Amino acid sequence: MTPREAVDRVLLYALLLAVTVVVCFPLAWAFFTSVKPKDEIFAWPPTLWPQAWTLENYRTLFAGKQAYFQGGTAAATAPPPSAFFLDWFLNSVLIAAGTTAISTIVSTLAAYSLTRFRFPGQRAVPFLALIGYMVPSIIFVFPMFLVMADLRLTDTLASLVLGYVCITLPFCMWLMWAFFRGVPVEIEEAALVDGASRLRVFLEIVLPTAWPGIVAAAIFTLIVSWNDYLFGRVFINTMENLPLTVGVMHFFDGTHVDWGLMMASSVLMTVPMALLFALLQRHLVAGFGAGAVKG
Amino acid sequence: MAPRDVPARGGPQRARRSSRLRLSETQLGLFFMLPFIVTAAAFMVWPVVEAIRMAFFAYNPLRPDDVRFVGLRNFEIILDDPLFWESFRQALVWTGWSILLQTAFGVGLALLLHVPLPGIAAFRGLLLFPYIVPTVVIALNWRWIFNSEIGVVNHLLLRAGLIERNVAWLSTPEMAMASAILLNVWKYTPFVVICVLARLQTIPTELYDAAKVDGAGTLRRFLDITLPMLKEVLVVVVVFRTIWTFNKFEEIYLLTRGGPGTTTFNLAVYAFEQGMANLRLGVAAATGVVMIALLLAGSVVYVRVSGFGAEERPA
Repeated sequence: MTPREAVDRVLLYALLLAVTVVVCFPLAWAFFTSVKPKDEIFAWPPTLWPQAWTLENYRTLFAGKQAYFQGGTAAATAPPPSAFFLDWFLNSVLIAAGTTAISTIVSTLAAYSLTRFRFPGQRAVPFLALIGYMVPSIIFVFPMFLVMADLRLTDTLASLVLGYVCITLPFCMWLMWAFFRGVPVEIEEAALVDGASRLRVFLEIVLPTAWPGIVAAAIFTLIVSWNDYLFGRVFINTMENLPLTVGVMHFFDGTHVDWGLMMASSVLMTVPMALLFALLQRHLVAGFGAGAVKG
Repeated sequence: MAPRDVPARGGPQRARRSSRLRLSETQLGLFFMLPFIVTAAAFMVWPVVEAIRMAFFAYNPLRPDDVRFVGLRNFEIILDDPLFWESFRQALVWTGWSILLQTAFGVGLALLLHVPLPGIAAFRGLLLFPYIVPTVVIALNWRWIFNSEIGVVNHLLLRAGLIERNVAWLSTPEMAMASAILLNVWKYTPFVVICVLARLQTIPTELYDAAKVDGAGTLRRFLDITLPMLKEVLVVVVVFRTIWTFNKFEEIYLLTRGGPGTTTFNLAVYAFEQGMANLRLGVAAATGVVMIALLLAGSVVYVRVSGFGAEERPA
C-alpha cells in the first residue's frame, strides 16, 4: 500500500464513521434519555453521557394497568396511557404475526398458481399487483374503514390484520411471482411424472426452493404491520385495542410531556425490528434486490 | 427486473395426471388462486370501488343513514378551498427537496459503500438500519432532539458556535418543513443506497481499468461510466420515491401535525383532516381521487421525459 492509498483509506473510514454517527445518533440519544432519571433528562445543558443510570422508565411501562388499579388511587381517574403499554405491545405482536401469516401464505399460493398453471386473466394479476403496490394507504384508509364497519369489525385487531393484508399483499404477490418465475420447473415436472401428487410436490419441492422469497415477503410484511400508524389511528378507538404505534402517541395527551417514558417506549418499539434486521439482514437485502420495497 | 423466459409447461403427461386428480389443470390453478382472489376482492377491489364512489357522495361517518349523492360537489369544494392549494404547493416543496437530497446522499453513500474496504459490510448494515425503524419512533426522537428548549441539537449547535440562540425547529413554518424533510431524508436515503449499490455491483470493473489506462481521472470516470450506468436505476428510484413521498402522511403528521398552523400540510394530511377532523369522508375521497390522478399524470410525464423504457437494453 502506497502512502497515498493509506491516506485515502483513513479518509474513507473517517467519512464512513461520520455518516454512521449521524445515522445512529437519534436512536442512541433516545436510549441514553430512556435510562436517565427525570431531573437529568430536563437538565440544561443536557448531559451527553448519563450520569445516573436508572430503569425507572422501563419499570413504569412494564407495570401494566393491574398495578395501577391495585395502587389504590384508581377509580377516580382513568389510568395514564403508560398503563396500557403491555396491552399495546401484545396487540402489535399479534397483528404483525397474523398479517404476516396471511399475506405470505396467500401470496405464495397465488404466485405458484400464476407461474405453474394456465387460466384466463392470469397475465393481468402481477400488473394489477404492481399498481396496488403504488397506491398510498391514505387513499385506502377511509374506504377500508367503511368496509370494516359493514363487516362489524371496527375497533378489533382483526380489522387491522385485514387492513395490513390489503396493503402488503400486492407487493408480496409480486415478489413471490418474480421469485417463482426464476425457479426452474424441471424438477417438479420430473416428480409429477414419477407419480408424486401436486400437494406433495408443492410441499416437498416447491416450498423449500421458494424459502428465501417467502422470508423476504415475511420480513416486508412484519415491518409494514409493526410500523404502521394510520390504520390503527382510524380503525381503533378503545385504549386496550390500540397498536403500539398509535398508543405511544397518547403520551403527548397531557400538558406535561414525559420524555423519559417516550424514549423508553421508542427503544422498546425498535428492538424487535433491530433483532429481526440483525438476524435476517442477508435476506432483507436479497428481498430489496428482488424489486425494492414500499415505503 | 430482468425478463426471463417463462418455462414451457403442459404436455401430454400433464393431461394424464389431471384426470387422475379429477380436477383440470385450470381448476387446480384457480384453486391455488382462490385465497388471493377472495382477499383481493374483499379488501382491495371493494375498498377501491368505495374510494371512488365516496368521492361523489356527502358522507358523515357519524350519520351513516344520511348519505346523499352530490355529483361533483366534493371536487368543487376542494378546488375552491385555499387550504387544498396551500397543501398542494407545500407537497411540491416537500417532495422536491426530499427527492433531491435523498438521491444526492443516496448516490454518494452508495459509492462510498461500494469501495472494497475491510469491514465495509458492517457499515452497509448499519447505514441501512433507518429504513426499518418505525416512523413513530423517528418522529418521537426528532421531536425530542429538535426540542427548542432542551433539545440536544440546539445544545450541540450552540456549543459549536454555529447558532447564537436556540432555534425553534418545529414551531416556525420554514424550520418545521425543513425538519420534516430532514426526517424523510434520514429514513429513506437507505432505499436509494440499496438500489444504487445493487446496480454498482453489476458494472464490469474492466470499464474502469480501461478508462484508467486511457488516463481518465476519477471525476471523468464517474461522469462517463458510473452515471450513465446508473441512469436507468435512478429513473426507477426517483419515480417510485416521488410517488411515495408526495403521498407521505405519517412522516409529516407525526412530527408536526401539519403545523404550525397549516404550514406543513400536504395533500395526504389534508385528506386525513377532512375525513378525521371534519368528518367529510366524501371530500377526503375526492382528494384521494385527485392524488391518484396527479400521480398517474406525473409518472407518465416523467417516463416520457426521461425516455425510460424507450430504448431496448442491450443484452
